[in-house]
Amino acid sequence: MSNTDEKNMNHGEPEIDELTKDRFLGGHEYDGIRELDNKLPSWWVWLFIVTVVFSAVYLVGYLVAGWWPSQSKEYDQEMAQLVEMRKSAPDVSVDTATMIPLTDVASLEAGHETFKKICSTCHGQNGEGLVGPNMTDMYWIHGDSLNNRVTIKDLFKVVTNGVIEKGMLPYKDQLSPLARQQVLSYIITLQGTNPPKQKAPQGRKYDKFG
Amino acid sequence: MELQKFYYDNKIVRMFAYATMLWGVVGMLVGLLIACQIIFPMLNFGLEFTTFGRVRPLHTNAVIFAFVGNGIFTGVYYSLQRLLKARMFSDVLSRIHFWGWQLIIVLAAVTLLAGFTTGKEYAELEWPIDILIAGIWVVFGWNMMGTILKRRVKHIYVAIWFYIATFVTVAVLHIVNSLEIPWSIMKSYPIFAGVQDALVQWWYGHNAVAFFLTTPYLGLMYYFIPKAANRPVYSYKLSIIHFWALIFLYIWAGPHHLLYTSLPDWAQALGTVFSVMLIAPSWGGMINGLLTLRGVWDKVREEPVLKFFVVAVTAYGMSTFEGPMLSLKNINAISHYTNWTVGHAHIGALGWNGFLTFGMLYWLLPRMFKTKLFSNKLANVHFWLGTLGILFYSIPLYWAGWTEASMWKQFTAEGVLKYPNFLEIVTQIMPMHYMRAFGGLLYFSGMLLLVYNIMKTVKTGSFVAEEPAEAQALQKEGGRLVGEGWHRFLERKPIRFMILAIVAILIGGLVEIVPTYLIKSNIPTISSVKPYTPLELQGRDIYIKEGCYNCHSQMIRPFRSETERYGEYSKPGEFVYDHPFQFASKRTGPDLAREGVKTGKLYKPDAWHYNHLMNPQSMNVQSIMPKYPWLASKEIDIASTPKKIRVMQYLGVPYPEGYDQKANDDLKAQAEGIAAGLKASGIDIAANKQIIALIAYLQRLGTDISASPTAQK
Repeated sequence: MSNTDEKNMNHGEPEIDELTKDRFLGGHEYDGIRELDNKLPSWWVWLFIVTVVFSAVYLVGYLVAGWWPSQSKEYDQEMAQLVEMRKSAPDVSVDTATMIPLTDVASLEAGHETFKKICSTCHGQNGEGLVGPNMTDMYWIHGDSLNNRVTIKDLFKVVTNGVIEKGMLPYKDQLSPLARQQVLSYIITLQGTNPPKQKAPQGRKYDKFG
Repeated sequence: MELQKFYYDNKIVRMFAYATMLWGVVGMLVGLLIACQIIFPMLNFGLEFTTFGRVRPLHTNAVIFAFVGNGIFTGVYYSLQRLLKARMFSDVLSRIHFWGWQLIIVLAAVTLLAGFTTGKEYAELEWPIDILIAGIWVVFGWNMMGTILKRRVKHIYVAIWFYIATFVTVAVLHIVNSLEIPWSIMKSYPIFAGVQDALVQWWYGHNAVAFFLTTPYLGLMYYFIPKAANRPVYSYKLSIIHFWALIFLYIWAGPHHLLYTSLPDWAQALGTVFSVMLIAPSWGGMINGLLTLRGVWDKVREEPVLKFFVVAVTAYGMSTFEGPMLSLKNINAISHYTNWTVGHAHIGALGWNGFLTFGMLYWLLPRMFKTKLFSNKLANVHFWLGTLGILFYSIPLYWAGWTEASMWKQFTAEGVLKYPNFLEIVTQIMPMHYMRAFGGLLYFSGMLLLVYNIMKTVKTGSFVAEEPAEAQALQKEGGRLVGEGWHRFLERKPIRFMILAIVAILIGGLVEIVPTYLIKSNIPTISSVKPYTPLELQGRDIYIKEGCYNCHSQMIRPFRSETERYGEYSKPGEFVYDHPFQFASKRTGPDLAREGVKTGKLYKPDAWHYNHLMNPQSMNVQSIMPKYPWLASKEIDIASTPKKIRVMQYLGVPYPEGYDQKANDDLKAQAEGIAAGLKASGIDIAANKQIIALIAYLQRLGTDISASPTAQK
């Protein structure tokens, strides 16, 4: 360990490191570790200065001058955009009075997707029922008992407004009217599919469906 | 001048080194287990002691405090003696420190798995262990300062500056964040609540990273890199500036863990800017480490120890750049609550702490055994396994984090969430979890190679327990000398140095934490927010005990993507009775802040909660949540209710006078109601079971402000 020889320190000319040509600091030696007398790298100093200036501007801009919005204002702006988005979205509002199940493949596939993503949590992957009722049998809770008929219009109301006390959520904010119609159209196709692990019937039996 | 002969205590270094290896294996193995639990929920084994919510805190505590902690002490006990030319101050204190620390680790493992937790991340240990930690930490500091005072070297080297800053700051952080009032021999409530508790916790949590995982390891870096490379430190001036800047600035940055939460805007802004200002001071350490290797890069290619060091310092540079970037609001809005944070943390843990520890062990153990490393080849294999492990670990998690954030946030053209089903997002990132677990396996295999290599090395060598050394006694020198720089002067006045370090680290904490107490407007009160009912309080304690916060947040940020998914964003006044807060830091599952709101987006009936807790996969086939069947057989500990109510009253929660005696009547009535409701849905469960209390708590979440008209959208 020639470069740790204490005799060379503190005397006369500063000692130079042979590999880097940098100057050693005299008297700085700890268990053989010596220290070089290098200055702070200038890019490092500039980096530090830039971050400090950034910070000053940031604090003034957010907390004093109000150049940028607070998080609650940011939220309000974001929500306003959402309202705009919903307004300008193509009018897919469906006529609930005359609604009938869709039968085209694309609609049923879209409905199936929605069912897998959302409904299956409570009604089972195949509509067999879990916490929510079985969707494949003839028994329904929210039908039109006067006419002994369950229509997509009846179910549309359930999906839209939910049945809070029983745990059915309202989906008016989460699914567009068309998406609700699609998923119900899909559910109607499940009738009589007889999947395994069916939940016991709930509600009353209806003879006409769809 | 008198030449004194003395001996370095290598035995204590060896003890800590072996403990480092042992706990490293344990901590990483537990990490591998929880990584696999996320893929295969059955690996929770249906037992309360092996469920993710309890095992994950064991992993973090084991890796941070057991593996890295013992790593710190290994390096400090080795380097301190040599840098000061003095044996440790007291062999007795050294041994008390060692055995005390190992006892803490064992107690931590047992109590965490048994479900005793404060519910505050990285500070989960309960009050008796907190006191033990404080005591053992003081023993460590006392032993270190004693050694410094009886040194034979005039100036203290930069490594020791970092050791001193570590000692004082960890003491302050640990004590303040552990202020809690016990209600039983093993359980307590923290004195802070809600937003204040969150601020204190992340002031602690962030600075545990800073002063437990960073500053001591910078100290080790300053010793072991120059020693292993046999090269001088690049710049003394840089070490002064970056040391003081680092410890002063670090302490302020805690609020960056709470961006876009209910924390006041001013505190969030401080968290952001102090994080950004940390880039240069952090990189100062990286520069001084890497540039110390100038002129010997050819050696780096040969020598596995140096390879480990280079990757460690590079990982440090990467994560200390990434950290400030994640502290910018717009980036944090993407990364927070996702796996990105986990990836970021592991660049630091696996890269910086792990690799520096490995390099250090490979370097110092052969030296203490007067031999050569058994196999450089195996060490090289370890190096590559570790490096690949880090890449396989972190890249998939960055990808996963990005995927989660974009799926959480996407809207369709009609203005509704594109992925309203949270589970779809969980399923989407499953391949990334597989890759992460594979990365972890690679890294763990490398660790096993290290153990084997060291065992072989130790067998071939002969241990030098008492290493002889000699040095001249230290000459007393008084005040500052002519031409002596102020810092050079300070380096021979360790007590003054320590006091200045304390001042530097106290300023940021005081400025941020004290105003949330003194200025009322920071936490606007909401009159409809009421204390938890006794049953809900018991349920909340079960929620904490089972570690639900490890996967579920309770903090809806003011983003439309969150209010559309979860409901009204969280307000600071909603959490004033939350001892402790449960904002959490990761959403493996959905946020629960509005879980109980009946008109909300996530509302589920009691029966759903019952079935879901008993067997989540019966409700959602793809769910990765563990089962909690024991909640239906264990009874609520109603004997504790009066004590809990009294402690809450003492902490300022406004239960009526004498309520502690009536609380159990209310508890039973509410529980009977829930049990009757479940019975109506066909579920037969006695009202005194824990699951009833937990359901009561879940149904209370977020409901307080939904009644008030301002909260309605």
